[in-house]
Amino acid sequence: MTTLLFIIFAGLAIGCAIAMVSQSNPLYSAISLIGVFIGLASLYVTLAAPFIAAVQVIVYAGAIMVLVIFVIMLLNVEHSEPRRKRLKFLVPVALGMAAILIAETAFILYSVQTSEKRLPGNISDVGLTHSIGEGLFTRYLLPFEITSVLLLMAIVGAMSLARRTTVLSATARVVPGAQVLAMDIINPRAIGDRTAIETETTGQAAHLLGVDFQPDRDQEE
Amino acid sequence: MDLSNPYIHAVMIIVAITIAFLVIMLLVAATVLGERRVLAFIQGRLGPNRVGYGGVLQPFADFIKTMMKEDLVPDQSTRFVFLLAPMIAVVTAIMAIIIYPFGPTVTLPFIGTIQLVIARFDVALLYVLGVTSVGVYGIALAGWSSNNKYSLMGGLRSSAQMISYELALGLSLIGVILISGTLDIYNIVEQQSGWYGMQWNIIYQPLGFILYLIAAIAETNRVPFDLPEAETELVAGFHTEYSSIKFLLFFNAEYINMITVSMLATTLFWGGWNVPFAGYLFGRGTVLFALVSMLGFFAKILVFLFFYIWLRGTLPRFRFDQLMDFGWKVLMPAAIFNIILTASLVLVTTK
Repeated sequence: MTTLLFIIFAGLAIGCAIAMVSQSNPLYSAISLIGVFIGLASLYVTLAAPFIAAVQVIVYAGAIMVLVIFVIMLLNVEHSEPRRKRLKFLVPVALGMAAILIAETAFILYSVQTSEKRLPGNISDVGLTHSIGEGLFTRYLLPFEITSVLLLMAIVGAMSLARRTTVLSATARVVPGAQVLAMDIINPRAIGDRTAIETETTGQAAHLLGVDFQPDRDQEE
Repeated sequence: MDLSNPYIHAVMIIVAITIAFLVIMLLVAATVLGERRVLAFIQGRLGPNRVGYGGVLQPFADFIKTMMKEDLVPDQSTRFVFLLAPMIAVVTAIMAIIIYPFGPTVTLPFIGTIQLVIARFDVALLYVLGVTSVGVYGIALAGWSSNNKYSLMGGLRSSAQMISYELALGLSLIGVILISGTLDIYNIVEQQSGWYGMQWNIIYQPLGFILYLIAAIAETNRVPFDLPEAETELVAGFHTEYSSIKFLLFFNAEYINMITVSMLATTLFWGGWNVPFAGYLFGRGTVLFALVSMLGFFAKILVFLFFYIWLRGTLPRFRFDQLMDFGWKVLMPAAIFNIILTASLVLVTTK
């Protein structure tokens, strides 16, 4: 029974992994990657590690891949004709890496087969939420906290990078005529400030928004 | 019967899944009818009352009618994803029901002592959160694959909303986990059976419950958080292009989600199947006790479903920036405050 389940889920994971690499459409690749994660999570369950399986689904399949799909959907990638010549030098590199990976797998298989079998102490407890939580908050507290701080730094870094520095891009156009602008549109530092600022002319609005205003080009179109 | 035999166990589980599926489907039909009748009552109309006595057969008539409709697939759609999306939505919605205990442990004649739950495992609560988080794909992919601006906007709004409120939802449950010390929902319900069946977690977690309720309404895309299918702006949002049975799948998924979040609220905060004094009156483990407990469980779910319908008839919709502000700047800090408060109280009282 366990072998059958292993074949089903491992087959799903490997099939999805192959599909992920071979698909030309990025969205299909992303969906295949979700399949890989779900296949792996199912394997964790058969290995008596339900907690890591649940976390795998929540974090990878549920959060990270949603963001990836979000980006693909927003960018709306066009179908580009396959450019096979590009990055051709990567083929021998990939082949070499695959050879190393297969050698590693063979070595692990060999060493597992030859070493004497030893069961870990108290099997019934390993992989359960209770033992993982206890480990995280006692023995592995420092690595756990360091990882948290690292993640916090990543969040703050992403925030400071993603924050708008210029209000509009240089090629952006200003709506012609008198208009009312909110303070947080003009000044990126004043987030949420909705003080109204009225402008009389297009040039004035363009100046406030930091956009080059060329009256001639605007009148042409 | 020998319940420890793996084959009999497997048959029992299949029977349990079938019964649970049928019950949920009937509950969906009842909710759809209830929603139409209650909304009609709120708005001073009659609602559907012609098919069957008082309109009880209306959902089945609607089902047959929708099935008979032509199944349209947009010309420029991504066909495979277009077919996949409603399946993901309904499968992830219905997968969550396997962990809910419908009643206490009961000794049935000829069969033996059984637990009225399909599956019990260590990480039941995380399983619910995981399945819910995969459910986002159904809506996001539906919006993208339809090749329609309205659908895409609906799908994007929905995924943004569900990612934001998932955090608040997960954090609001941590208080209950801290009090019970387990993620197994069956144990969490058992622990609430003290004080003659009235030691419910709502007494210890009022703030957590309110936060959960709000986040759950947003997770199921119901009024006042129904921006993904805002009719006045987006036609029908992510399912604009869906017709016939595929629309039916999305429709079912929404109502199954409503039922499962109501079940979670009931099991975690309102005592699950615990009915006050039922164990005292009928004796624990008897069939009568199990029946009364089960009725209590469904009564509590129906109260939550009525609350959802009531909200839909009463409240206007949020604006999108208000929705995001509310999720991140109100619900999240409040949930974190709740966790800190609960953790300190648990620490003080157990020491």
